[in-house]
Amino acid sequence: MSVIKRVVFVSLVIVYLAGVSTSSGNQETTFVLKGARVHTVAGPPIDNATIVIENGKIAAVGQNVTIPAGVKIIDVTGKEIIPGLIDDHSHMGAYVPNDLNEMPQPIGPENRAIDALHMGTPDWNEAVKGGVTTIVTGPGSGERMGGQSVTIKTFGKDLEKRILKEAGELKMAINGINLSHIPTIHSNFLKAKEYLKKWEKYESGDKKEPPPPRDLAMEALAKALKGEEVVRVHIMWANDIMSFLKLKDEFGFELQFIHAPEAWKVADEIAKRNVPVICMPIELAINVPESLLRGIVTLHKAGVKLAMHSDHPVSPEKWFRINASMAIRYGLPKEAALKAVTINPAEMAKVADRVGSIEKGKDADLVVLDGPWYEATTPVDMVLVDGLLAYDRHQDEHMAEEEL
Amino acid sequence: MRQDKKKRQKQMLKKMFPFISLSFGILLLAVFAVHSAEPEVIAIKDGKILTMTGKVYEKGLVIIKNGKIDKVGKGGRIPRDAKVIDAQGKYVMPGVIDAMTYFGIRPFSRNVPQPVTPQNRIADAYYIFGDLFTGEGGIQAEAELLCGGITTVYIAPGSGQLIGGQGAVLKTNGRTYDGMVVSDPASIDMTMAYAPVGQFGAPPPPRPTRMASMALLRTTLMGAKAYAQKIEGYKGKSAEEKEKAPKPPRDLGNEALIKLLNGEIPARVEADYVDDILAAVRVAEEFGLKLIIDSGLGAYKVRGLLAEKKIPVVLGPVSHPIGFTHYNASHEVQELENERNAALLTEAGVKIALGSHSYNYGGSGKHTQGRWLLLEAALASSFGLSEEDALKAVTINAAEILGVSDRIGSLEKGKDGDVVILSGHPLKIESLVEHVIIDGLISYSREKANQ
Repeated sequence: MSVIKRVVFVSLVIVYLAGVSTSSGNQETTFVLKGARVHTVAGPPIDNATIVIENGKIAAVGQNVTIPAGVKIIDVTGKEIIPGLIDDHSHMGAYVPNDLNEMPQPIGPENRAIDALHMGTPDWNEAVKGGVTTIVTGPGSGERMGGQSVTIKTFGKDLEKRILKEAGELKMAINGINLSHIPTIHSNFLKAKEYLKKWEKYESGDKKEPPPPRDLAMEALAKALKGEEVVRVHIMWANDIMSFLKLKDEFGFELQFIHAPEAWKVADEIAKRNVPVICMPIELAINVPESLLRGIVTLHKAGVKLAMHSDHPVSPEKWFRINASMAIRYGLPKEAALKAVTINPAEMAKVADRVGSIEKGKDADLVVLDGPWYEATTPVDMVLVDGLLAYDRHQDEHMAEEEL
Repeated sequence: MRQDKKKRQKQMLKKMFPFISLSFGILLLAVFAVHSAEPEVIAIKDGKILTMTGKVYEKGLVIIKNGKIDKVGKGGRIPRDAKVIDAQGKYVMPGVIDAMTYFGIRPFSRNVPQPVTPQNRIADAYYIFGDLFTGEGGIQAEAELLCGGITTVYIAPGSGQLIGGQGAVLKTNGRTYDGMVVSDPASIDMTMAYAPVGQFGAPPPPRPTRMASMALLRTTLMGAKAYAQKIEGYKGKSAEEKEKAPKPPRDLGNEALIKLLNGEIPARVEADYVDDILAAVRVAEEFGLKLIIDSGLGAYKVRGLLAEKKIPVVLGPVSHPIGFTHYNASHEVQELENERNAALLTEAGVKIALGSHSYNYGGSGKHTQGRWLLLEAALASSFGLSEEDALKAVTINAAEILGVSDRIGSLEKGKDGDVVILSGHPLKIESLVEHVIIDGLISYSREKANQ
């Protein structure tokens, strides 16, 4: 990111945050949430638990936790607490203005979402309201290789600190309507393999020759070949899924499927290769046949690691939780559904060391709910991001309700 | 050789004809069986009955006879000829009403590139069999609606016109329009700040200002008033005079508007911004119209006024109040959106209903699908509406706003036999619709649908 861009970027964020900073001002750095049923996701739920938060991190969680003397205790008796939700596939910040797709250029792995991230839209706030605290947001699906996504928190004062991974995934897309899609991707990986070889030869040599010319696109693909970056592919049909699995067999890159409504038809093939599936949104506006809803359960039973995603703005980020609810409605066990919006997407995005579960040492990204976490009737009461109060239902209600 | 082959084929067809016709017949029978069955006596026993009149029976009995509700209560004798549905551990409630849809009206038929067409009727555009090519919005779609417990829908002619036409209230089960209709015309459907559409891919005409739109609305209503006076004047004449003076020509648009002007049917006005809502109220008062606000994104901002004037609001879905365009919409609209709209209006005393705005069972990424209306009610309750009020918004309140509460909306003796049986509380995520009964016919059974 150039200096100028960075300055513009940060000042945009400051303008945006001016509106929300009031809710996070003057907050204690150490405090305690006491009395809730806590779904840590790292183990069975803990009733009447205590969570100690220190400098934005979780310092302790459990039933028999010593509460440090003199700290503020927030009573959350009767509530449920889950980890901040993680959406592994969103386009937030990238679609207004239209910076999603570099349409005439089918191959653009060098394009980076972080260079086009727009922070001024109200939907970042809405995401927090819905309990979503981390998103992977990136290019659209108009190209075969759209570029690199960014993994970022939805709330925080310091933009640089909000970013978990500058380039989190390499986004590709197969739309199943063109025979050339797979060969195009195939030949680019072949090129990248050659490129990587050249560089490896140079690096391991005496470096007396000038280095091979750098190529940003090939660098991005080489990273995937070296296992440093995940390949994520927007995919629909079972035949495309099989074709891409074969590409993975040939090149050995780490692969994850996005949408994949037909994945359940080849669940065993996917499970065999340990490829996780980021299931397409199924909240209330999405028209999906019941076969697809049950397909998610088929994938789960086959042992495929699952995550849900919003594809925001296709399905609004603030209703992300409802995707898990709908999966439960159609038979996914509740624990699996919760994992699919917390620890699983964290692991897939390689940020599970910081987010995705309620464990000592992890970021204090927490959602407090007034009832069972998966019910549509349950309101989100409070959202913490890095230990800061990002949303408080009662304060929000108070602000929005004035009559003319 | 070739002739031989043809002959053989012909003979073969002849031989197979009885089989082909038989299997075709069976298929037809299977398809029509559900719809053509005569209403029978149905007894639903031991379920938790939410009557929506305020009464709840923990282990109650509902009897449906001749398509109508014959008994609702604690228990009692079950007629010997009744088909008994054991609802132990389940919930029984009136059929769900979706108070705002474009259901069955294909995009092509939905909006006309003219601002004022009060003569347009749902009956002429409603296509029960769905899109000719994709099947969307047809019989299949009904099954999709039924699995959400939806038994009645309000259908609007569109939202791209100032006066789109006449709305209608329909049941979701049946094979002909006439067999499904509950109320038609149910309203004159209008849109404030409407966005004109182009036809056959032509670019839409420029959007008129709100000032011009309101002037056009007033002019139209004044024209209808003058037309009504002319008709009345002609009726009042003696036979002699009638012979001399020519009969005023019929005008379908004005005939529809007369019903609006004399209060037979209400104006359903889609208005989101506060200024549009206020403009609608102003015109309604000026012409003495019954008014229903549709969508009403900013209605909570003027809830006191709406309560005082007893103007009901049919809210859009809580999760997608204005559809996919939401995030391309202006910040002003996004700022206006408030999930507590339903709760705030209800607290202030405004009667509300919920509508999905779905145009078929799909509508991916646009509005909520009709079948999930109960879950929309659940979301509304998570934002402060009581669970009872949330259920009322999709049953009795919706029926009252639509003007059909004499027939539907609650479980009461004499009302239509529209009953939904669910595996659990209607607002809980894991509760599935198990049976839907419409006019005393079992129109959907989860078990059968899953086979």
